[in-house]
Amino acid sequence: MGLVMPLSVCTFSGFFKSFTSPIHVLIPCSEVTSVICGTLHSVDQYLNIKLTDISVTDPEKYPHMLSVKNCFIRGSVVRYVQLPADEVDTQLLQDAARKEALQQKQ
Amino acid sequence: SLEDCPLDEDEDAFQGLGEEDEEIDQFNDDTFGSGAVDDDWQEAHERLAELEEKLPAAVNEQTGNGERDEMDLLGDHEENLAERLSKMVIENELEDPAIMRAVQTRPVLQTQPGSLNSSIWDGSEVLRRIRGPLLAQEMPTVSVLEYALPQRPPQGPEDDRDLSERALPRRSTSPVIGSPPVKAVPIGTPPKQMAVPSFNQQILCPKPVHVRPPMPPRYPAPYGERMSPNQLCSVPNSSLLGHPFPPSVPPVLSPLQRAQLLGGAQLQPGRMSPSQFARVPGFVGSPLAAMNPKLLQGRVGQMLPPAPGFRAFFSAPPPATPPPPQQHPPGPGPHLQNLRSQAPMFRPDTTHLHPQHRRLLHQRQQQNRNQHRNLNGAGDRGGHRSSHQDHIRKDPYANLMLQREKDWVSKIQMMQLQSTDPYLDDFYYQNYFEKLEKLSAAEEVQGDGPKKERTKLITPQVAKLEHTYKPVQFEGSLGKLTVSSVNNPRKMIDAVVTSRSEDDETKEKQVRDKRRKTLFIIEKTYSLLLDVEDYERRYLLSLEEERPALMDERKHKICCMYDNLRGKLPGQERPSDDHFVQIMCIRKGKRMVARILPFLSTEQAADILMTTARNLPFLIKKDAQDEVLPCLLSPFSLLLYHLPPVTVTSLLQQLMNLPQSAAAPAPSNPHLSAVLQNKFGLSLLLVVLSRGEDLQSSDPASESAQSNPWTEVMFVATRELLRIPQTGLAKPISIPTNLVSLFSRYVDRQKLNLLETKLQLVQGIR
Repeated sequence: MGLVMPLSVCTFSGFFKSFTSPIHVLIPCSEVTSVICGTLHSVDQYLNIKLTDISVTDPEKYPHMLSVKNCFIRGSVVRYVQLPADEVDTQLLQDAARKEALQQKQ
Repeated sequence: SLEDCPLDEDEDAFQGLGEEDEEIDQFNDDTFGSGAVDDDWQEAHERLAELEEKLPAAVNEQTGNGERDEMDLLGDHEENLAERLSKMVIENELEDPAIMRAVQTRPVLQTQPGSLNSSIWDGSEVLRRIRGPLLAQEMPTVSVLEYALPQRPPQGPEDDRDLSERALPRRSTSPVIGSPPVKAVPIGTPPKQMAVPSFNQQILCPKPVHVRPPMPPRYPAPYGERMSPNQLCSVPNSSLLGHPFPPSVPPVLSPLQRAQLLGGAQLQPGRMSPSQFARVPGFVGSPLAAMNPKLLQGRVGQMLPPAPGFRAFFSAPPPATPPPPQQHPPGPGPHLQNLRSQAPMFRPDTTHLHPQHRRLLHQRQQQNRNQHRNLNGAGDRGGHRSSHQDHIRKDPYANLMLQREKDWVSKIQMMQLQSTDPYLDDFYYQNYFEKLEKLSAAEEVQGDGPKKERTKLITPQVAKLEHTYKPVQFEGSLGKLTVSSVNNPRKMIDAVVTSRSEDDETKEKQVRDKRRKTLFIIEKTYSLLLDVEDYERRYLLSLEEERPALMDERKHKICCMYDNLRGKLPGQERPSDDHFVQIMCIRKGKRMVARILPFLSTEQAADILMTTARNLPFLIKKDAQDEVLPCLLSPFSLLLYHLPPVTVTSLLQQLMNLPQSAAAPAPSNPHLSAVLQNKFGLSLLLVVLSRGEDLQSSDPASESAQSNPWTEVMFVATRELLRIPQTGLAKPISIPTNLVSLFSRYVDRQKLNLLETKLQLVQGIR
C-alpha cells in the first residue's frame, strides 16, 4: 500500500504517510462515540481519512458495521486519532511543523 | 391603502397588472404548457437504462462517413475552442515528463499536420482518427454526456439540426487553476431534447453539459473489454493487464488489502515486472478513475489512492529490492482463480515510497499473507466472489469516463505531486525513514548481520516555475475576473497588528509575559537550530565558492543561538543565570539545549554546563513533572571529554556545592542531596568523577604530585559523600567502571565499602 498525497499541502499529510500499521480513529456520533480501527489508506488536506480493513471496537453496540471493510471518514467528525506510538517521532514532527511555519512566514 | 387611491389611478394600475398577467401567462405556457418542450423525465430514464444495449449497434453505424459534414462543423468549432484553450494553458506544465507519461500519450498521432501540440485537449482531427480503431477493438466508450442524452436511432446527416444546440459553451475557468469544467446546467436537470450529437463530439469535449448525480466510484471494465490500443500493443501476452482494481472488490482498495484478500494465493506467472510496467503509462488512468469525481470539484487537494504512474518521479528501484513475485504456482481454491485473473499489481504501486517504507510494508504483507493462509480467511469471501462475477459482466456503470477524462484527472493529481524541494515539502516523511535506516544500519554494525542495501530515495527535482497570474478574460467583455484560487490567493481581510501598551500591567501579567517571552526566545532559537542542522546538507549541495559564505553564516547563527541561550544583555559583564534557567524550566527548552550543545564551541558549552551545575537543584525541582533532564546527559558526557582538568575540577565543586576553603563543612548540604536524589544529577556526578579519574590516571605528572586541585577536591568530595544520608538516592543511568579505583585512592577500605554500597557502585548479585 502506499499513500500518495500532495506534497506541499501540510506537514500532517507527510506525517500520515509514514504509517504502516493500523491506527485507531475515534469518531463521535452525536451521543455516542465509536472507535474504528483500521489501516490508513489515504488522507487529504482536510484530514478526511480512508481506512481499509476496519474493525469496530464494540461490535455489539454497532452491529451494522460488521460488514463494512473500508470506510471514508470526514475529517471534521474525527475526535481523536490514536497512532502507534513506536511509529511516531514527535521530535521530528515538531521540527517539521517548525519548518513549515518558517516557510509560511517567508 | 387602496381606498385612498383615486379611481383613475386604479385603472392604470390594474391595466399594468393585466399586462403583467399576460406575460406571466406566457411564461407559464412556455414552462409547463404547450410551448414547453415535451420532456418526460421518466421516459428519458428508461431510455438511459436501455441505452447500453442499443448503443453498440447505434455507434457502429455512426462511424460511417455519413456524418462527416456535421462532424466537420463541430470539428472546426472544437478546434477553435481547443486552440483557444491551448493558448491559455501554460505550456511548461505539460512538458513535464512525469505528467505527460501519466496522461496516455499517443505518439503516433502527433505527426498529424494541423493538430495542436501538447494541449490538454487533443484536436478533433487527432481524435477522429483514433475513434475508428478504438471502436473496433473495445466496447464503446461512452462519455457522461452520452448517457444523459436520449437515444435517437442512427440517422444520416441532419441538416435540420440546430447547430447552436450542439455548440457547447465556452470554458469559463482558467485551465491553470485546474478545476473541472463548470457545469452549465445544474445537477439533476433532466436532459433537454437535444439532437444526438455525433459520438465523436462527446469525446472531444468531455466537459459535461448535463451531469449525472454523483455516482459511486466506478472502475473500468474488466480486462479484455477495455484496452486502449497503446496497452494492447505494448503488452501482447500478459494475462493480467487490465487494471489494478478488480471490480469484484469494494471500491477504495489498497494493494495491501488486495494482498490480504488474495489470502496467500500467489500471482500468476507472466506478470509484469515493474520495469515493464513503466512502459505502459496508460495504467495511470485506471486506478485513479476509481475516485469519486465529485471530490475534485473546485479544489486542488484531494484523496489520492496509490498511483502507479507516480513511478515516473523516481529512479528505478535499486536492484536489491526484491522484484515482485513472479512464476508462482497457482494458489488454492477455485474461487480465488477468478480473483487472480484480475490480480492487481500492487507491488509496482509502492515504488514511489521510500525504500525503507516499502520494505516495512512488504514485511507486513508477508505477515498478513501468512496469517490468511493459516486462517483460510479468504474462504468466506468466496461466495461473494461468485456473485460479483455476474456483476462484472454486466456492469451498467462501466466506461462512463473516457480514458482522456481519466487522464485529465490524473494529470491534475500528478501536478500536485510535483515538488521543487521534496526535502522541504515532505520533511517528516523523508527524515523519518532516513532515521529508521540509520538505526537499522547502526544495529547491523553491532550485530554483524548481513549488510542490507542502503538505498536512498532519489527524487527528481522539478524546477519551480513562476506562474504569473493572468486574470481570465473573455472576448468582448470589460474588465477582468478576480478568481482566487490555490495558485493566486487573494487577501480577504487586512488584519492590522496592534501592540498593547506597557502600562498598568499587574505582577501576574508580568510573570505570564516573562514566560511568553521565554517561549518566544525558545522558538526563535529553534528556528536557528533547524537551520544550522541543515547546513551540512546545504554544504554538500552548494558550489565551491559559496561554501565559505555558508560556513560564516553557520558560525554566526551558532553565536546567535548561544546569545539567545545566555541572554546577553548590554552593560553586563557576565550574563546572569536567570535567563538560561528560565529556558531550562521549560521542557522544550531543555530538549533544545541538548541539541544545541554539539554545535557550540567548547568554551560556550562549558559555560552552559557550569551554569547548569550551579543551578541544578532548582532545575531538578522544576523538572519533577517533565523528567526531561536525562536527555542532557549524553551531550554533557561528550562535552566532558573535551574539557581540561581545571574545568572538570571546578565543575565538580559546583556540582557538589563543595565548600571553597578547607573550613569546616556546613552541617548539611541540601544542594548535594538534591543532586544525588535525582537520576540526572547522580548520573552527571558519576560521569564527572569518572572523567576526572581518567584525566588523573592518564597524566603521569599529576600522578606523582600529592597535591593538585583535583586531589584536594576529591578528598572533600568523598567526605561529603560519606556524610550524605542514604535516603532516596536515585538510580543512575549508567555507572562508570572506574569509580571504585577512583575512590580507593582517597579513602580506606572500610569507607570504600560504605561508598560502594551507598552509591550502588558495584553491581552484582547480593
